[in-house]
Amino acid sequence: MTIHATLSTGRRRFLQWGAAGAGAMALPGLARAQDKPSEIIVRAWGGAWGESLKAGVADPFTAATGIDVRLDFTEDNEIKPKLWAAVDQGRIPPIHVNWDTTTNATISALRGVTVDLSDLPNLEGLLPLAKPTGLDGYPLVNTYAYVYVCAYRPEAFPDGPPQSWTVMLDPKFKGRVALYDDGIGFNPIAVIAGGGTFDDVPDNMEPGYAFYRKLKENQPLLGEDADFTTWFQNGEIDLACTISVNARAARQSGIAVEWTVPAEGCKVDTDGLWVPKGLPENEEYWAKQFVNFALSEQAQAKWCSLLGLPPVYPGLAPPEDLVGDPSYPTTPEDFARLVSVPSPVLVENQPIWFARFSEIFQG
Amino acid sequence: MPLTWRFLDTIEALVAALWPARWRGATGWAFLMPALLLVGVLVIGLGYMLEYSLHELNLATYRLRDEYALTNYATFLNRPVYGTVLWRTVLGSVLVTGITLLLAFPYAYVLVRTRVPWVRKALLVTLFLPFFIGQVVRAYGWLIVLGREGLVNSLLTGLGLPAQDLLFHFPAVIFGLVQYMLPFAILLIVPAITAIPEDMERASESLGAPWPATFRHVVLPMAWPGLIGAGVVVFTLTMTDFAMPEILGGGTTDFFASAIYDSFFQISNPGLGAALSMVLVTLGSLIVAAVFALAGPGTLGIRGART
Repeated sequence: MTIHATLSTGRRRFLQWGAAGAGAMALPGLARAQDKPSEIIVRAWGGAWGESLKAGVADPFTAATGIDVRLDFTEDNEIKPKLWAAVDQGRIPPIHVNWDTTTNATISALRGVTVDLSDLPNLEGLLPLAKPTGLDGYPLVNTYAYVYVCAYRPEAFPDGPPQSWTVMLDPKFKGRVALYDDGIGFNPIAVIAGGGTFDDVPDNMEPGYAFYRKLKENQPLLGEDADFTTWFQNGEIDLACTISVNARAARQSGIAVEWTVPAEGCKVDTDGLWVPKGLPENEEYWAKQFVNFALSEQAQAKWCSLLGLPPVYPGLAPPEDLVGDPSYPTTPEDFARLVSVPSPVLVENQPIWFARFSEIFQG
Repeated sequence: MPLTWRFLDTIEALVAALWPARWRGATGWAFLMPALLLVGVLVIGLGYMLEYSLHELNLATYRLRDEYALTNYATFLNRPVYGTVLWRTVLGSVLVTGITLLLAFPYAYVLVRTRVPWVRKALLVTLFLPFFIGQVVRAYGWLIVLGREGLVNSLLTGLGLPAQDLLFHFPAVIFGLVQYMLPFAILLIVPAITAIPEDMERASESLGAPWPATFRHVVLPMAWPGLIGAGVVVFTLTMTDFAMPEILGGGTTDFFASAIYDSFFQISNPGLGAALSMVLVTLGSLIVAAVFALAGPGTLGIRGART
């Protein structure tokens, strides 16, 4: 099959999907649909993240609709206040779609700046994971799950992958361990590694703080996604708690990195898409169409396969290199081995946990 | 009448129409107006920050409550981590200012006094080159040079010496900041040294003073305005710096700007971020005011000021 034929088939499928979707979204939507914007701006993360969104969703969306998709790599925490201010001040938001962590997206939903997505046709049949918890309707939609794995340099672990997160406390790894600089992805794990249980979260985080205090003596590095890749590449660290996508991307670019899920488990979380309020009517319509397209089988298969993450569209096979990988949960049993904290709990407690995390590591 | 005269007459008439003679007393203010507007905008922004800082965040809606409260300032006082980070910031700023001035003064002196053209050119190029490279790029450059497998450690291991941890601690942050601030300080000291007539130094030496005495009793006092100005600029820039501590500090040696950033962006609490900003602005202003009170604004060459 030629590339042209593939695109034509994709376009036909998109038009079929679009027609069904537009019908479901009532007649005024059809009228708005005639007025296509020249482009849709989607906030995204850079590196392997942005490339996967471009190849899996943005480019096929452009091919099917003729609307260009521009990726805006503003940091997720920095776009948030800009969107809030734009909505509050009645200005047009700087982006059409925000690709966001579910926790941040939930905060924006609580603030009332997100458009309801309940009428998107492609929501039907998705895994329950797609539905945001603790919120009415779909002020955002989750698009896949991801796991904060234990990434390590195989050279530093000749006897095999680390079996427990407590290896971070080994003086052998002093100054060679890394965490996210806000503790995200590790707070509940620290509780378990510190001798507590998952039931202690969020009321008794003390075991986790005790673990952090011990870890501080081992002088960990604290950073963001890009830092972990740089640090592994430059031989600065042997071990990190990072999202599997970063570890996989590093390995794919030739850096010696492997990952594992230690005995205490790993935190599993979700990312999602949402549309800010305040867009012109036609732009909001096409922004929602973009989100709807991202939930289609075609987009979910390619996007999530490139990311190496389990999609919310059911029944899609994992990429070959991740079959059986514990960081790629697909069944309820797989998820049971991981640690999942509901978004409302995260939203309510993240500022408190962050404050304690800072006190320990900056104090 | 020549064309140029007519052109100049037209310009003069236009200026007279736009700015009549009776307004001439306000000409100075007119020139000051852009600066006053700029400062005015900053003051308005500061007013907003102060207002935000007096409202607590409602975690149910992630909006600031309407009621006025001092909760954010209480949070600053009750959480020792803010005191620790603020102390680190002030200490770092003092160290960076001192080291930078020590390095900048001889550089500026040689740059002004050298009689060898190629030396002056080389010093000028070296001075201005860093301005073309942003702070973040420079910080990442240091990651490459000082990293575990970077240039310096490669040299050390090549010589049979053990590799050293040259990054991700307080000294690394100070090093990066000094390197960043040095050109600013030199640029501010150069005019002060240029303003010292070389004859003054010759006169001192012809009266029998050795060069160190000339330096201490002639050059240094006369260059004082430049040193104070450079010190104030370097100190305030360091106090508010974000990138160097963030990149070279490894996440555990943050300066106060990082705490402000975290409040605004990581935990979406603009009230707390505004309160921390007000604390930093107030402290920075008090320190600068203290410097002026001790050194006297006349040291900056402000005419009519008491020294």
